Amino acid sequence: MSAPPEQVTITIDDRSVSVPKGTGLVESALQAGIEIPVFCYEPRLGPPLGACRMCLVEIEGLPKLQAACTLSAQDGMVVRTSATSAQAADGQEGVLEFILLNHPLDCPDCDKGGECPLQDLTLRYGPGTSRMVVQKRTFDKPIPISPLIALDRERCILCYRCTRFSEQVAEDGQLVALNRGASSIIATFEDEPYRAHFSGNVIDLCPVGALTSTVYRFRARPWEIQNVPTVCAMCPVGCNVWATTREGKVARVLARNHPEVDGGWLCDKGRFAHDHLRAADRLTEPIRRIRMRGLVAVPWEEALDAADEGLRAAGASVCVAFSGGETVEQADALSRLVRQGLGADVALLPDDPDPALDAFRAPLAAIRSANVCLVVGDEPVLERAPIVDLWLRAARRGGAEVVTVGPAGAIAAPPGSAAAICAALAASSPPEELRELARDLREADRVALVWSGDDDTGGRHLAGLAAALELGEGSGAYFLPRTPNGRGVAQAWRAAGDGRGIDPSGDEALGALIVSGDEALRDTRVVALADRARFVLTTAMFMNEAAGQSHVILPGTGYLERDGTVVNLEGRSQRLRRTVEPPGWDELAFFAQLARRFGVDVDPWTRAGVDELAALPARSGTAPVVAAPAARGPQRAAGAGGDFELVRYRALFSGAAVERVPQLAFQRPAAEVELPGGDASRLHIATGERVVLRSGEVSRELAARVNRRLAPGVARVAEEHADGLADSVRIEKA
Amino acid sequence: MAPRHVVFELAESADVTRLSDYERAGGYESLRKALAMEPAQVIEELLASGLRGRGGAGFPMGRKASFLPKPDQTPKPIYLAVNADESEPGTFKDREIMLRVPHQVIEGILISSYAIQARAAFVYIRGEYLTEYEVLRTALEEALDRGLVGANILGSGYSVTIVLHRGAGAYICGEETGLLESLEGKRGQPRTKPPFPAIAGLYAAPTLINNVETLATVPRILALGGENYAKLGVENSSGTRVFSLSGNVARPGNYELELGMSLRDLIVGIGGGVPGGRQLKAVIPGGSSTPVLTADELDTRLDFDSMARAGTMLGSGAVIVIDDRCCMVQLALRVAQFYRHESCGKCTPCREGTRWMVEIIRRIEQGAAGQGELDLLLNVCDRILGRCLCPLGDAAAMPVASYVAKFRSEFQRHIDEGGCPFRGTSSLEGVLAPVDEHHARARARIEVPA
Amino acid sequence: MQNPFEGAKGFAVTLGQIFRKPITQQYPEYKRPVYPRFRGRHRLHRHENGLEKCVGCSLCAAACPSDCIRVVAAENSPGNRVSPGERYARIYEINLSRCIFCGYCELACPFDAITLGNEFELSEYSRDDLIYTKDMLLRPPTKTMPVADRDLYDTPDPVWKRES
Repeated sequence: MSAPPEQVTITIDDRSVSVPKGTGLVESALQAGIEIPVFCYEPRLGPPLGACRMCLVEIEGLPKLQAACTLSAQDGMVVRTSATSAQAADGQEGVLEFILLNHPLDCPDCDKGGECPLQDLTLRYGPGTSRMVVQKRTFDKPIPISPLIALDRERCILCYRCTRFSEQVAEDGQLVALNRGASSIIATFEDEPYRAHFSGNVIDLCPVGALTSTVYRFRARPWEIQNVPTVCAMCPVGCNVWATTREGKVARVLARNHPEVDGGWLCDKGRFAHDHLRAADRLTEPIRRIRMRGLVAVPWEEALDAADEGLRAAGASVCVAFSGGETVEQADALSRLVRQGLGADVALLPDDPDPALDAFRAPLAAIRSANVCLVVGDEPVLERAPIVDLWLRAARRGGAEVVTVGPAGAIAAPPGSAAAICAALAASSPPEELRELARDLREADRVALVWSGDDDTGGRHLAGLAAALELGEGSGAYFLPRTPNGRGVAQAWRAAGDGRGIDPSGDEALGALIVSGDEALRDTRVVALADRARFVLTTAMFMNEAAGQSHVILPGTGYLERDGTVVNLEGRSQRLRRTVEPPGWDELAFFAQLARRFGVDVDPWTRAGVDELAALPARSGTAPVVAAPAARGPQRAAGAGGDFELVRYRALFSGAAVERVPQLAFQRPAAEVELPGGDASRLHIATGERVVLRSGEVSRELAARVNRRLAPGVARVAEEHADGLADSVRIEKA
Repeated sequence: MAPRHVVFELAESADVTRLSDYERAGGYESLRKALAMEPAQVIEELLASGLRGRGGAGFPMGRKASFLPKPDQTPKPIYLAVNADESEPGTFKDREIMLRVPHQVIEGILISSYAIQARAAFVYIRGEYLTEYEVLRTALEEALDRGLVGANILGSGYSVTIVLHRGAGAYICGEETGLLESLEGKRGQPRTKPPFPAIAGLYAAPTLINNVETLATVPRILALGGENYAKLGVENSSGTRVFSLSGNVARPGNYELELGMSLRDLIVGIGGGVPGGRQLKAVIPGGSSTPVLTADELDTRLDFDSMARAGTMLGSGAVIVIDDRCCMVQLALRVAQFYRHESCGKCTPCREGTRWMVEIIRRIEQGAAGQGELDLLLNVCDRILGRCLCPLGDAAAMPVASYVAKFRSEFQRHIDEGGCPFRGTSSLEGVLAPVDEHHARARARIEVPA
Repeated sequence: MQNPFEGAKGFAVTLGQIFRKPITQQYPEYKRPVYPRFRGRHRLHRHENGLEKCVGCSLCAAACPSDCIRVVAAENSPGNRVSPGERYARIYEINLSRCIFCGYCELACPFDAITLGNEFELSEYSRDDLIYTKDMLLRPPTKTMPVADRDLYDTPDPVWKRES
């Protein structure tokens, strides 16, 4: 560990404060309990810009006012803010007057009104009246820069927070400033819609109402809302969020900075997908399949009876299919019902992270300070756990070596080879192309290993590599599960019984199948199982998914309607809070009642006990003694005469929730196939041209997109456009 | 006193734009001399000369060069950036230097690069200077062919690349950090300092930025010797400067003078005074961003300290003579319009303040202003001065404030009489920028998929 | 000992009053004029061009001490322009059974869109009927109340009367 930083003492407004050397003046003042107002300053966006000049302070010995945000504390510095310096007060009032010159006073119209830094600071530091008599600058407004974000250029005070986010954090480069001087405006690059995974963060960042959410637009005012602290359960990152509710409905979701998990950022899925709670096809009552009458809505008690009856008839021949989105408490209730109550022992788990990984836990923020980051696996990190991608970018900006190994990686590797890569890197003499990387990994102080693939054994392979590298404090191994709480669900299932059988293979008839959640209903394995089951009990939020083969359907709840615990990809338990009431009983209440009928006592209430800002549990267990894993990938069908290996990935903007939010439609993956540059030019295919993918009898027509980063012989398609295609396909022009 | 020429000395008797002619006149001898010296000695020589930057701020060049880390103190390469983005209204000295002594500029770049051990030098040349660019490029090609630029210059073991980069028409890119941003391919907006370019400049590497005239003087300093150069001019303002004389004067043009002559010597003695028997009303002594001097102040001497005592600056050496036909409100409006147009839009006081200044002055000129608006204008200037990210805001506020201070009665008459007392006879009538249409309208809506 | 004239004195008073004009006002046949600044039932106002002054900013709801105003806003579209700004009140309800007629909503309104009128006859048979919707508030009141002559009091005209 490095020595604690040197302390310096500075005087702000006659108050003396001691801070570590290098602390910014704004933070130092805050420590002394003094506010230095800012607009453009936001440390998370990189180095200070010094553009808005709101933070002007007087510093003894310097003739001019200085922008406090660009300075750091030096020993003996004497700073005077507007509280004690007339010059600084005039400076800040002047800046506010300048900002307000062209800022429209449409606060009653503006969504930011009531929670607007410009309003607050004007009240505290600004002039009471305007001395401007000439026309204000006007623009067309509002301009939708994407279906999610409306831009109001009149309100914009040009703090460049949004463009800096786009350039320096998300690195999508889509928001730009055009023109200069008083006619500067914010625009999207080439006027294209702002289509990026993190676009919504610019709404949070905007200190005025220039960038507003079209989803939240005019839905509520700040004094009409309640902000509930909860956790996003849309992906395995588990970003901390505020859910804003008005009149019992979720109106918006905002990032709630957890510096170890999300750094205050939130992806668009977490931010905008909440409207699925109010989808038209949302189930609100239990439904039972009745002979000759089809699906009929029934009271809860009757549904309970029907479930009881169906499960009793099945005996121990019961299988449960989890979605991975359940809370730990729900999974626990269901697991104990099945394992202890019914005596059955078969489950389909969406994820099965290896417990060996617990020895290499580290906060996600540790990625940023790593020297070397390794990403293996076929799935793009951005699609699987988007915030991890931001941490990796932050690491790269900080000078770390970020290496991706995979079909689209800097080091090309065939699909499904992640395990073999890990094994090779762990071995004493890695192959030529990995030698340099292996050396860097061994020599680096801090390493971040990320597994972003669909291989269930990945956790073990990753832990094997981590053990071989002898990862210490400051390093971490991150296995990205498919589902938000896959890790917690697997733990709950294991805890409920003795941990036998997992995979329901064979084709004998099944007594009963319990399908927990909409995501499970989309699994083809679950559909196959349902065909074999005599009784299917389903919990689902939406009718479309649920109808098929179910006998009893219970209305499910969304993550914003649940109380409970979720375990994110770091292994951190976080508390979900109920922000709005579900339409009926929640799953936990139902399964607790059902379990009681089978003699298992399950608490229908969530135990309190997990903190809001949960700390990552200490590293547990010893480093696993894992032999170098066998070079075995996920089960990919052997080449069936195709000339391209097909890589499928689950797009972030897919799934039951996203499909029900019309504003997110433009974010969903386009119907296209990515082809490597060399192969595309060999086949004379250019981006945008139609191509046909064939495997056996199945064919799909998609648009081509040339991706020069793909390894030769690999084609990549979003899962939802690859229906029925085998792992090996032939591709030709349509 | 016969004017002593330094920068243009070699070009006085012959055309030295070709390499062979320049070498015949003694060119590149200073480079050979410098390469034989230690880099630190070259900087010593510059320090001894007392050469102050000719771009406008007047910072001693030797000191600026000595702020840069030595190559063994930094893992980054060291760069030299040459500011040839001459855009200050009234200034046209660098273009003449580049046209007449291009090799001297290149030689200066090479010597300065050697002094700071730069790996590359970037010449940021104003986009509108096409001829100058062509001349400089031809000269650079000649120098390349001769092995004066590139790897292992003249067998000394020192290598430097010179890159010519044409700007795209922004005044702000003449500000050193704005220039660096633009060179990096970003939006031309100044950076906040610290970090200073000497520590983290171009591509976050230590960078020395100098004006063309400064660098063109460097070879002559080595030829004369720093001590000898320092004897020219007056204390604290050594050497000569090229003054761009323009406006209502009989003989406008570039004149190289020893520092310390009076304004009257330049305007009346050399420039021939105001033609047509009209009265001199005011003089802008150092480019449009410097506060104005009145006819009573003509005896102010042209050196850094005298100018500072008179409340103005030597700036870029652009002396603009204004006669009694000119309406000072129109002058203020024209100057304010220029700075509004050239404000980069990064920091608030400059972006909004310059626009407001234009609007207030326009109202005064049109006679629509109320009694309080003159003080409002001064207050707006006050609130811009010293509060901006870069000097552009000051450059806009200082001259306007000085016009009001020194010609207040003229401004007041506009308000009292409800219009311009010149009634259309002002020499600036009709050269005011129209209200820029694009300032008023935003761009078209962005098409968004349904 | 009681003075026999005491009773007669009482009757004399009664007798004296019996021929005077009674001061009892026969409400509802007679409606006494209210003060000009009397705060009665709310009204919402329109601009002269017919657009609603209310933009649905909810400031009245924020100011309301009895929490009886509910505003749900929506966005104006070219095809459905309700108010001059970007937003308008899609739902505007005042629960008059809770209202204390303090007039804070009037003070809070940045557009003078809501004012308190003179009507005080607000009794209904059902509480639900006391929830006044936007349409009811925009319509001129069906019952009108006599108002005392403004000139009798030192009362300036309300802003909304001066402007529209």
